[in-house]
Amino acid sequence: MEKRNELEEIMFPSDGSGVKPYEWMIQPTRQREWIDDKGIFLWLAFFFSEIGAGLYFVSLFYEYKAGLILGWLVTLILGGVIHVLYLGMPLRAWRMLMKPNTSELSRGIWIIGVFAALGFLQIVTAGSFNIVFNCIMGILCLLIISHGFATMNVIRALPAWSSTMVLPLSVISGVWIGHQILQFMFAVSGSAALASGMEVWAEVFFFVYFLCILLYVWGTWHSNEIGKESIKSLITGEYSKISLIGVLGLGIVLPLILTLIMWGGNTNGFLIFLRLASVIAGDLAMRYVIMKSAVYTPLI
Amino acid sequence: MPRWGMVIDVKRCIACWGCTIACKEEHFLPPGVFFNRVLIGETGKFPTSSKLIYPVLCNHCTDAACVEACPTGATYIREDGIVVVDDDKCVGCRACLVSCPYQQRTYYDQKVKDREYFPGQGKTEMELLGEKLYPLKVGTVIKCNFCSERVDEGLRKGLTPGQDEEATPACVNACPVGARVFGDLNDPDSEISRLIMEKKGKQLRKEFGTEPAVYYID
Repeated sequence: MEKRNELEEIMFPSDGSGVKPYEWMIQPTRQREWIDDKGIFLWLAFFFSEIGAGLYFVSLFYEYKAGLILGWLVTLILGGVIHVLYLGMPLRAWRMLMKPNTSELSRGIWIIGVFAALGFLQIVTAGSFNIVFNCIMGILCLLIISHGFATMNVIRALPAWSSTMVLPLSVISGVWIGHQILQFMFAVSGSAALASGMEVWAEVFFFVYFLCILLYVWGTWHSNEIGKESIKSLITGEYSKISLIGVLGLGIVLPLILTLIMWGGNTNGFLIFLRLASVIAGDLAMRYVIMKSAVYTPLI
Repeated sequence: MPRWGMVIDVKRCIACWGCTIACKEEHFLPPGVFFNRVLIGETGKFPTSSKLIYPVLCNHCTDAACVEACPTGATYIREDGIVVVDDDKCVGCRACLVSCPYQQRTYYDQKVKDREYFPGQGKTEMELLGEKLYPLKVGTVIKCNFCSERVDEGLRKGLTPGQDEEATPACVNACPVGARVFGDLNDPDSEISRLIMEKKGKQLRKEFGTEPAVYYID
């Protein structure tokens, strides 16, 4: 009996992954490869690349070397290594440099490579905050921040990912979280005035982030029937709890309350930390549900 | 240069899954992995509902999303239009798998490799033989290749794919009702071109914009 169940589990998994050859893709079918099982690595890799590059980007404006170093390390070590670990053949990762002309993934690897080299130079050289250097690094950071969602955005088969708002959402979320990390670093390193001065940008970034999430939901809902399916699963379906608690509660409501409390630069270290933890959890949840809820159009 | 394609007559198909099984035998595919599927769905409402039977496989698209997405060039289109994966170049990033709107690719990992047709009994002689004859690389993506080994070997022997069984994909040979026709889309006199012209062959989900080489007629 047990053996029979084992075979049944292979043929018709209880997670509903639907290997039944006659039911394949006859309903909107969820994307699994880039989020389920080992796919969770990719979710984390995209997240760490985004926040690392976000921190680096914001640190450029404040010419803050510790922020650059931390951002550079997070992007390359956490983002890069987890990315490679996801691969079926990690030792062949260098091959991903081969097709930047068509593959977004390949372009991303090139950008990360250039960022690694130039970032290292910027960190180790004196006078590294040269305006031209800053501009180049800023552009590279924005490209890295958007790399994860850009890789998803080019997949036309998944309307939830090919939405126009995916890229702006990814850029603003990277900058917003990078900004929060830097503000926290200033707060704990005794630069309270700087942390307080950053608050005006926190207000701006938060509202743009909130607006982008709203526009993403609205745009995907109106894109087509399959996009609507994805949004339904976010709002009322199986991911509604994560969306409600993670994205709405931790990503929007709690930061909004904390932002209102600190309005006008009335900041303190604990509240900044609380908001940082909250937006990180919210952003992780937002990325998770977007990756998880993408569905393919049925074939028949 | 030919461009290989397939026509599937959905009116003839009786959903016997002969193609599915022949394909699994040909490529020694482990449990749960299919290069050929026969989809069964319904449309309309009683009393005017009707049953839809669609055999599906890799469409070997001209504008293949998988080829575009592949960062290493492991997935490429041969000169004869067959989309193949070079498992020596594949890094297992699965960008091709996610990009394919038809979802006709499978990631072959250790978990899939270890599956047995008779769980707990060890692999059968047939399964072990398959691993030797048709070795699949763990950590790479696998898919239908229009039985390119058969096509190439047949051409070397001077045979005509689509006409001579030895040079024709296994699913086409196995179909008991002749619902599948394989041939050269570039040859206006081939049976496949004639069927597409006469019966107004349609590509599955043309709106995906990938220009499939598999056509459906009814």
